[in-house]
Amino acid sequence: MGNLPSHPNRPHHKQSPTMSQNVKDVSMVDINEAMNDSQANDSDQNGSSVNPSNLTQSLSKMNIDDSNELTPQLSSRKSTLIFNDDFDETPSQHKHIEHQNNYDARRNVADNEDEDEDAVNNIITDRSDGSASSLSPESSTMSSGEQGRTQNVEYANTSQEGFNKGFSENQYEGSAHQSPSIKEQQPQPTPDRRPAMVPVEITWQQGGSKVYVTGSFTGWRKMIGLVPVANKPGVFHIKLQLPAGTHRFRFIVDNELRFSDFLPTATDQMGNFVNYLEIVSPESMQMMDYESNAQQQNQQKQNASNLQSSDNSVQQPQQQHHTTAPPQVRRQPSQSKDGKLSARSQLALHIEEDPDDMGNGYTRFKGEQQSKTDYEYTQDIPAVFTDPSVMEQYYLTLDQQQNNQQNMSWLTPPQLPPQLENVILNNYNKNAEPGSENNSGALPIPNHVVLNHLATSSIKHNTLCVASIVRYKRKYATQILYAPLQ
Amino acid sequence: MPSSGSQVQASDPQTIELEQKLAVQSIRVFLQSKTSYDVLPVSYRLIVLDTSLLVKKSLNILLQNNVVSAPLWDAQTSKFAGLLTSSDFINVIQYYFHNPDKFELVDKLQLNGLKDIEKAIGVQPYDTKSIHPFKPLYEACVMMIESRSRRIPLVDQDEETQREIVVSVLTQYRILKFVALNCKEIRYLKRPLRDLNIISTNNIMSCQMSTPVIDVIQLLTLAGGVSSVPIVDDQGKLINVYEAVDVLGLIKGGIYNDLSLSVGEALMRRSDDFEGVFTCTEDDKLSAILDTVRKSRVHRFFVVDTNGFLTGVLTLSDILKYILFAES
Repeated sequence: MGNLPSHPNRPHHKQSPTMSQNVKDVSMVDINEAMNDSQANDSDQNGSSVNPSNLTQSLSKMNIDDSNELTPQLSSRKSTLIFNDDFDETPSQHKHIEHQNNYDARRNVADNEDEDEDAVNNIITDRSDGSASSLSPESSTMSSGEQGRTQNVEYANTSQEGFNKGFSENQYEGSAHQSPSIKEQQPQPTPDRRPAMVPVEITWQQGGSKVYVTGSFTGWRKMIGLVPVANKPGVFHIKLQLPAGTHRFRFIVDNELRFSDFLPTATDQMGNFVNYLEIVSPESMQMMDYESNAQQQNQQKQNASNLQSSDNSVQQPQQQHHTTAPPQVRRQPSQSKDGKLSARSQLALHIEEDPDDMGNGYTRFKGEQQSKTDYEYTQDIPAVFTDPSVMEQYYLTLDQQQNNQQNMSWLTPPQLPPQLENVILNNYNKNAEPGSENNSGALPIPNHVVLNHLATSSIKHNTLCVASIVRYKRKYATQILYAPLQ
Repeated sequence: MPSSGSQVQASDPQTIELEQKLAVQSIRVFLQSKTSYDVLPVSYRLIVLDTSLLVKKSLNILLQNNVVSAPLWDAQTSKFAGLLTSSDFINVIQYYFHNPDKFELVDKLQLNGLKDIEKAIGVQPYDTKSIHPFKPLYEACVMMIESRSRRIPLVDQDEETQREIVVSVLTQYRILKFVALNCKEIRYLKRPLRDLNIISTNNIMSCQMSTPVIDVIQLLTLAGGVSSVPIVDDQGKLINVYEAVDVLGLIKGGIYNDLSLSVGEALMRRSDDFEGVFTCTEDDKLSAILDTVRKSRVHRFFVVDTNGFLTGVLTLSDILKYILFAES
């Protein structure tokens, strides 16, 4: 049997919050074993497998806010670019902020992009503006470096390729696309640490009479039945609430384990062909609602004057991206919380994925008017950035609200840039214990910010060893070159 | 056996034969529909060696990284320069054995000097054929069989610089494992091996525990592309195997003075994660064989009779050849 102990009689539990940490192990499970397992349990699946809460309606913020139909593709594409980190939740958060830096830098380089750039790019710049202004000062130094530049180039490539081709197919063929939003009727969240769930629609369109999906999100044990789509013979779908991260899955079509030709496929470490989806973490949305409520009030006070000074933003908050001067969002950054990194990353997430529940009884979906007045752009720098005493006061308040263990952690900058704390080549040695099945040299999916960087180990025996992770089509090749010192 | 779905009921030979034929054809369609690129994991590593590295250092690098071969890169021409495999080290051993006075040369030998060694001992140089990763997997398999090599480098061109990129290297084992994992049809391969005519039974070389290891290494080169020599006892019962990759451990650290050891002593150098010797009988079925390939890192099966006497060998290329060309 595979590497995981099998519990054929184990009761089926819902998706566990720690699922993403298990992903690597899960991939080692022999799919055939797993399938047998689940088939053994088939009978009790049918009734209980579809969790009613999984069927919550997906109301994508982006669909509603934006008339542009390309937008959902943006979201799915972004997911593959950004949240490819399936082995650790924390880095996947701070990846975001690096990402934003890149946009920022790119924007600075290419300053005012053409008006007729395609809509997708507009949205990107739009978002980058949002975060650029609100990032802490260190972001500007990071983005101006070499790192920023190389990645900009790369992103420019992938964004066009990806947006225009690959994902438009996916989109229109009705395959799974995810909508990074949370439920509309969300109860007032508490600041506890539930992983945010993202509604994801999974579609099977290659016929069959009984279609199930199984995957890393159920530990490859449980099978979830798909519902036939009316008027479309051979098409089945299901909407699942999944935690952020990479999910691998396959379909069981009339007792045959299959993968969809319409979804991204890859081989896992065992060499199994699986479909996979990478889901953007809206984690901060739920986790931070509590804070944002408190913050909201704070901000409203602080920004009251700012709002008034920006006259043009009221009509077109979505098209702010062409202003030359970095526009200021009215939201404040800086939610210092546990951990020095997470504050920044959560900030980035927060800005990218505005909480649907705005606090004070406002919900984004309730009315566009409301959200428009809420989202104002301004050119004035909030006092929290200009006045150290205000900033300190702000953080102190946050610390009190959080009542967390790491008091004053925001005072100390991180020791390393976050992406350097997670080097996949260092992980490899851990995987490669004797007897492991990893003989194809499979590595964890790299954090995209480390792509095209040169890594090196110390020179031993007059031999230099350098490594670089590059994209090869839609996969990541980590080349390690050994060369003698001349 | 954890084969998925319902077990196929035993039925008459004609049905089994027909099922096997259809299954092989279906696997072939699968190989044609997939590309080498599909076999690669989403993220993987690739060890590349500069051709100006010393041979003895490259050996340490291979062992350190737990790989048995690596693509070579010529920094002068910015080109892929072939593969370094265990047979290169075997050549060096042979050369040194015949020219014991040339230790200095062997010690300072660079990877780009391996061609001279091949010439000196009169070995036919391998022409390392490479293939584009987006060519069908079937083509890659055919190319491997034709060039009698166990691995094939995947080489692409960089879109901007037009320079070669070594994307990865596929082995017969990885392809067969890929098939075993992804083709459900393998459970219909229920004909006994004896009927398939794919086992090599003639001229099976073997050695005994007391045979000097250098003689065994000689055997590895003589037969042209044999990757292992079975070790039998006095009666001819199979007890162990000496593999070409075991040579890497033997000359670890650039020490070539252990060549007088017997095979038995040389095997003590083998690392602990040796998978063991895989055997099968003529009554076994390809479905079971491929199931073993799926589960274990196996590179050949020794065919034994009921008493454990060695009667033949079934290599991965035998299996691959059958899947590629037979039953059409």
